[in-house]
Amino acid sequence: MSGRNTSWLMKFLAIVRYEILWNIRKKKFIGMFIVAFALATLTLAGGYITSAITGEPVDADPEFVISSNAGLGGLVFFLFAVVTTMNVISAEFESGTITPLLAKPLSRTTVFLGKLLAAFLTLLATYSFLIIYMAIGSFVAYGPQTNLHLIPLSLLGALFSTLIWISIVLLFGTLSKSSLMAALGPFGIWIGTTIIGQILQALSGQGWILNYIPGVGNFGYVDGSPLEGGFPVSTGTDSIGANLVNYILHPAWEVTYYKIDIEGPAQIPSWVPLSTEPLSNVILTSIAVAVVYFIVFFAVSWYVFKHAQVAE
Amino acid sequence: MVAVIETNSLTKTYGSLVAVNKLNLKVEKNTIHGFLGPNGAGKSTTIKVLIGLLKADSGSAKILGQEIGWDRPETRAHVGYMPELPKLPKHLKGTELLDIYGRMYGMTEAERAKQVPELLDVVGLGDRGTDLIGQYSKGMQQRLGLAQALLNAPELVILDEPSLGLDPVGMVEVRDLMKKLAKQGTTIFLSSHLLHEVQQVCTQVTIINRGVEVTSGSLEEISSRVEGPLKIEVEVNNLSKPILEKLEALPFVDNVSRSGKKLLIELTTRDDVRSEVSQAITNAGGVVVAMNLKGESLEDVFIDLLGTREKES
Ligand SMILES: Nc1ncnc2c1ncn2[C@@H]1O[C@H](COP(=O)(O)OP(=O)(O)O)[C@@H](O)[C@H]1O
Ligand SMILES: [Mg+2]
Repeated sequence: MSGRNTSWLMKFLAIVRYEILWNIRKKKFIGMFIVAFALATLTLAGGYITSAITGEPVDADPEFVISSNAGLGGLVFFLFAVVTTMNVISAEFESGTITPLLAKPLSRTTVFLGKLLAAFLTLLATYSFLIIYMAIGSFVAYGPQTNLHLIPLSLLGALFSTLIWISIVLLFGTLSKSSLMAALGPFGIWIGTTIIGQILQALSGQGWILNYIPGVGNFGYVDGSPLEGGFPVSTGTDSIGANLVNYILHPAWEVTYYKIDIEGPAQIPSWVPLSTEPLSNVILTSIAVAVVYFIVFFAVSWYVFKHAQVAE
Repeated sequence: MVAVIETNSLTKTYGSLVAVNKLNLKVEKNTIHGFLGPNGAGKSTTIKVLIGLLKADSGSAKILGQEIGWDRPETRAHVGYMPELPKLPKHLKGTELLDIYGRMYGMTEAERAKQVPELLDVVGLGDRGTDLIGQYSKGMQQRLGLAQALLNAPELVILDEPSLGLDPVGMVEVRDLMKKLAKQGTTIFLSSHLLHEVQQVCTQVTIINRGVEVTSGSLEEISSRVEGPLKIEVEVNNLSKPILEKLEALPFVDNVSRSGKKLLIELTTRDDVRSEVSQAITNAGGVVVAMNLKGESLEDVFIDLLGTREKES
C-alpha cells in the first residue's frame, strides 16, 4: 500500500515537473513576467514621477506596500491566469503531445491535478517574487513600511483571485481544445465585467449583479460618496486580498453603494446612495462566489478531460 | 500460448464511418506481430483504443491480460507505445523528456540514470540528449519517439508505422533493434502499410482492411493460404505432341494446356523450375521463344487489396 502511494506521488510529481518546465520556458510566460515586473516598478516609481512633475519632494509612506496591494491587481491576475493556463490542456491537444503523455501509466485525473498544481506553484513563485520585490522597493523608495505581516494575506488573496480566472481559462480550454479560445473566451468575460459592467453599474444602479460574476465586481465607498471624499472599495473576486487587508486594519468599515443620477434642469450628476453593508459581508460574498465558480468550472473541466478522446 | 493483446469484436466508429469493425485480434507473447493494412485500414485507431486514447463503441479488449476499460493506467504500466509520427514537447530536452516519462512509469532514480543514456544511444541520439526537442529534425523526433517507447523495459512494445519519416539506414537500425528486443523476450506489435517491412521482421501477421480482419497467422501460413501454385507460360516454336507428353511426365507438373503456340503449365511446386521446363522442351525438339513465371504471391494479394481500396475511395 505504501509502495503504491509513493509510486502515485512520484508519477504525480513527474507531471508537475513536466508542466512547470513547460510553463517557465514559454515565451508568453516570460513576457508576462517582464510586464508584471515593469508594472511593479512603475507603481514604485509613481511618487517620484509625480514629484518630478510638481516639484514637490517625495514623502515617506509607511503604508505604501500594503495600500498598493503589493502592486498586484485585476489585469495582472487575469493575464497571469491566461499565460499559465491557456496551454494546460489545449496546447497538448493542439501540438499532439497529449498522445504520448496519456499513453503513460497515469490516470487522467492525475495528469489534470498535476497540471493545475504546476500552474499554482508557478503563480505562487511569481507572486512571491513580485511581492518581495515590492516590499524591498517600497522600503528603498518610501522608507520603513508598516503592516508587513499582512503581506501574506495579499499573496493569498492574489492567488485566490487568479484561481477563478484559471478555472475559467481552463474551462474554455478543455471545452474547445483550442488555446486561442482558452484566451479569448475569458478575455471577453474580463472586458465585459471590467468595462461594460462598470458603465452598467454607474448608470443603472444594478451593480449588485457584478458581485456574482468573477472580476472587479461592484464599487462601493466607505465614509461618504466620492464627492465627499469616500474611500473606494471594489467588492469583486479580484479584490479579495485588498479587502482582507482592509478588514484587518478597519474591521468596522461599512460599504455604501451609489447610483449616479443626472437630475434637474442643470443636468448635474448626483450620487444617490442605494444600500450599505459591512465589509465582512463583502469579503464573505466574494469568497463564496469565488469558491462556487472555482468548484463548478474545475469539476466540468475535469470531467471533460477525463472523457476526452484523443483522435488527433 | 499466452495472448498479450486480445480483442473481442472490437468496434470503433467516427460518426458514420466504421474505422474498426468487430475486430478479433490476437497477439501472442514473444512474437513480432505485424499489423498490416493500407492507409486508412484502421490500424492506428485500433492501437489508440488499446492504449486508452480512444473509447471503443462496442466489444472488449485485453492487454497483458487486463481489460482495457477506460482510464485504467495500470493496463499501460508494462506497455511501450510509439505513436504514428510522434509529437513530443518541444520545450524539453531529450534527456529531460525520457527522465520525466521514466518517472511516470515509476522508475527509480538509478534506473533512469542507467536507461536514459542507454536508450538515447540505442536510437542514435547519444550526443543530442541535451538539445531541446524543438531543435530536432523529424527523423530525430521519430527516434526519440522510439526511445520513449522502450523505457522501463516494457513487456509489450506497440510501434505505429515506425519507419515513417526515417531514412533507409534508420529503417534498418529499427529492424535490427526489433529483432534484438524480440530475442530478449519483448513482444512487438508493429503496424505498417508496407508488406516488405512486415515480411522482414515479423513472425506473425494480421492483415486488416477497412476495419475488418482479412487474415491472420504466421507469415508462412498466410502465404500458403493466399498463394496458389505457380504457373509457367511458354511460347514454343515447333510445338508437338511429344513435347506436351514430356512436360506432363515431369514430377512437378500438374497440368499442361495449349492455345496456339502458347502452353500454360500448372505446377505443384512454388520452386522456380523454369530451367528444367526449358530443358525438357529442348530435348523434345521444341524451341523456347518466351517464358513467364506466374502466380499469386502475398505481394499480389496485398496489392489487390490496395487496388480495391483506391478504386473505392
Ligand atoms: N479523427 C478522426 N476523425 C474521423 N475519421 C478518422 C479519424 N481518424 C481516422 N479516421 C478514419 O478512420 C479510418 C481509419 O484510420 P486509421 O486508423 O488512421 O487508419 P490506418 O492507421 O490504418 O492508416 C480512416 O478511414 C480514417 O479516415
Ligand atoms: Mg495509421
